[in-house]
Amino acid sequence: MKHSFKAAFLAAGLVAMAGAANAFECQVKEASMSKPGGFPDRALTMIVPYGPAGGSGQVAAAMAEAVTSLTGVSINRDHKSGGSGTVGMTAYMAAPADGYSVLEHIDDASSAHALDSSRPNPASDLIPLVTSQVTFSQIYIRTNETRFTDWKSFVEWVKAQNGNATIANVSKEGSMERVTMKFITDSTGMSIQQISFDKGAPRYGALLGGQVDALYEQPGDVRKFLDSGDFKPILTIFNERPDVFADVPTHREMGMDFEPLLRFRGFYVHKDAPKDRVDWLKWAFQRGYCEDSYQKFNESKFMTVIDSYRDTEGSIALINATIPQYREVYKQMGLDVK
Amino acid sequence: MLENFIAGSAALFGDPFTVAIFVFGVIGGMLFGAIPGVSMLTLAAILLPFTSDLEPAQGVMLFAVIYCTGTYGGAITAILFNIPGAPENAPTAFDGYPMTKQGRAGKAVGAAVLCSAIGGISSALVMMAATEPLAKWAIRNIGPPEIFALVFFGLAVASSVGGRTIWKGWLSVLLGLMVATIGQDPVGGIERYNFGFADLAAGIAFVPAILGFFAVSEIFVQAEKKVTGKYDAPPVGMSFPTILELWRYKIAVVRSILVGFFCGILPGIGATLAAFMGYGEAVRWSKDKKSFGKGNMEGVISSETANNAATGAAMIPLLALGLPGGALTAMMVAVFQMHDLEPGPLVFYNSPDLIWIVFAAMFYANLSILIIGVMETKTIMYLLKVPFQFLAPMILLLASIGSYIGRGLVLDVVVMFVAGILGFLLRRSGYSIPGIVLGIILGKIGEQNFAQGMQMVHYDLVTYFSRPICTLLILAGVLTLGFSIYQAFQGIKQKSPAS
Repeated sequence: MKHSFKAAFLAAGLVAMAGAANAFECQVKEASMSKPGGFPDRALTMIVPYGPAGGSGQVAAAMAEAVTSLTGVSINRDHKSGGSGTVGMTAYMAAPADGYSVLEHIDDASSAHALDSSRPNPASDLIPLVTSQVTFSQIYIRTNETRFTDWKSFVEWVKAQNGNATIANVSKEGSMERVTMKFITDSTGMSIQQISFDKGAPRYGALLGGQVDALYEQPGDVRKFLDSGDFKPILTIFNERPDVFADVPTHREMGMDFEPLLRFRGFYVHKDAPKDRVDWLKWAFQRGYCEDSYQKFNESKFMTVIDSYRDTEGSIALINATIPQYREVYKQMGLDVK
Repeated sequence: MLENFIAGSAALFGDPFTVAIFVFGVIGGMLFGAIPGVSMLTLAAILLPFTSDLEPAQGVMLFAVIYCTGTYGGAITAILFNIPGAPENAPTAFDGYPMTKQGRAGKAVGAAVLCSAIGGISSALVMMAATEPLAKWAIRNIGPPEIFALVFFGLAVASSVGGRTIWKGWLSVLLGLMVATIGQDPVGGIERYNFGFADLAAGIAFVPAILGFFAVSEIFVQAEKKVTGKYDAPPVGMSFPTILELWRYKIAVVRSILVGFFCGILPGIGATLAAFMGYGEAVRWSKDKKSFGKGNMEGVISSETANNAATGAAMIPLLALGLPGGALTAMMVAVFQMHDLEPGPLVFYNSPDLIWIVFAAMFYANLSILIIGVMETKTIMYLLKVPFQFLAPMILLLASIGSYIGRGLVLDVVVMFVAGILGFLLRRSGYSIPGIVLGIILGKIGEQNFAQGMQMVHYDLVTYFSRPICTLLILAGVLTLGFSIYQAFQGIKQKSPAS
């Protein structure tokens, strides 16, 4: 068991490391592709399991714009939010598998399947068209914080609080955030109260206003607070220091020996959709990733710090590495893995 | 400030295309706000991609204007047909629709128009004067414990609205609170009461529940009257309230501006809580609590003043700190980002022109509610003359579309009809529909903030009550609750044969 656990972590690590920060080069060489049998001859529907204003809503809008600009095919976004993506996923699985419906989803789909295998597996029940955002997490504090200034002093301070220190995150049962926090607290021996905020604004406001002591987040989501100098990262949860955060230590440098879990967002189509249509969709979404408008969007979200691109095979590898990793941790956490 | 405001106004009205965008936003916001289901959010989502072709100031200004007029738009259908255009207009229907049935539709709509404008303009003025210090004060002093205390304080008066007895009022609120627990719990994500239906994982959506409890149950009530020959078409009252009439509610207006502003300034809270709190405070301070829910104009005034007062306030955390107060302000962040801008402290230094065009536009948008509101209302009120047999199917159709369109789920239409039937039966038995809706909406906000607050204080009540604002609000809520229970027992005592 221990061996398979380490193997899963190693595999996940290798997949994560596949994302070294490189200058962007479009992986899809064909600038155009003929429509198979006239497909699509009408607008596509993109089911988005989250609201229009959040990270998923924004990436869906950016990709839809890029694909439309590339192919001339309109994409209607249908936001079916709620239940940590469950509602949207259920609606998508019930939609006809004709290629006209595509799904946007995040790593929550993989962790949901890891916890309950009756939930769709994004790598086998769906076909990943492209993973267009892959990012790591960091721990942030206020820049004007005086009780601690870096990771080491933060850990010392937290330990001195006897469990009374707080960190804001999205700590729903089994979420990437909660699992990573378990890794961190286990490795450092500190005890910290996680406060779960499902919306970004109250979460960031909680740190800005001093309601919590730290924040767990991805850099793209708090970029404006980094640019304005309100927040500063004290720990990067990634195997190497990305260039833009060269002065921030990684969790490994701080003695934490675990493979980082990544946040990833991508686009999928039903596995039973006709192959020629799937091929066209793969081309459209993978090439859409290369569009200037999409690249500009990803850059604004710090999504070019590490390689955010995975084609179908890369996405399957990422998901297949992630699921066993979650599953092992869930078992360790005593969750009911089905 | 005045100099900047004049410069913002000049920039706004100095360019014909900018003026056209402003007018489009005013009318579009009102229209989309008035149609149930297709709210101002729908319009904003449609327009979002097109804003990249506009100047940054034009794009942000368009959304700000839609926010102001869309918040008001839903009041008209709430008053005339018991169909709140959005959750923040639900309390408007509590008294607005009974006023329509009493032939006082004109007075209700007139009050809504004027008070929406007053609420919006006041909050726009405060926004212009003190955005930065207010935003910083709010995030430092108001956290989840205080928001829960605010919700508790609001719920404490709910029992006196609309129920035949105070006990039935409380049972109605409790039913609403129970409905609010359906779906994933807001902190741990544990699924509750979804009976295996994945669509219920997100809980009961506000819009279908509101449409069912208000619009559909009302149609059933009227249809029953029609069948039993007791139906009387509501007289169409076109007369607007006089200045003297409105002057009597000056304290309610000022109080609602303060309440609305306070709720609006809190990140993630916004106009819905503002409207419910504004209404709740009107009931709390009234000498005639029993008249609420039966056509008291103060109910309409308080709710509409508060929800529009929240619009300017919600811009404060957005512009000063980059923290959106609700879905529409979150979309504004996207508009900023499309133009390589980020809302936050730097925007005041980097783009002062943009800020003052937006401030000026919000001021004039609220002012235009007054002008366009009066003009459109006279026309829309003629819809009341449509015979019930034609109006009822039209409302049912609109409500069904409104329920479905939000998430595209048939479940939401089913929820609407179940709520309609339940509402119809509960109304016959003297239970309170406003109480149920209040429970559903405040229950979700309250539960989340209670759980977060308890986590923040490590489940230690001493620490919880060491926060002064929180303690003050909880104490005030407990006193209100105690007083209403005392009154209820007094009522039973007076009715008992022995006394």
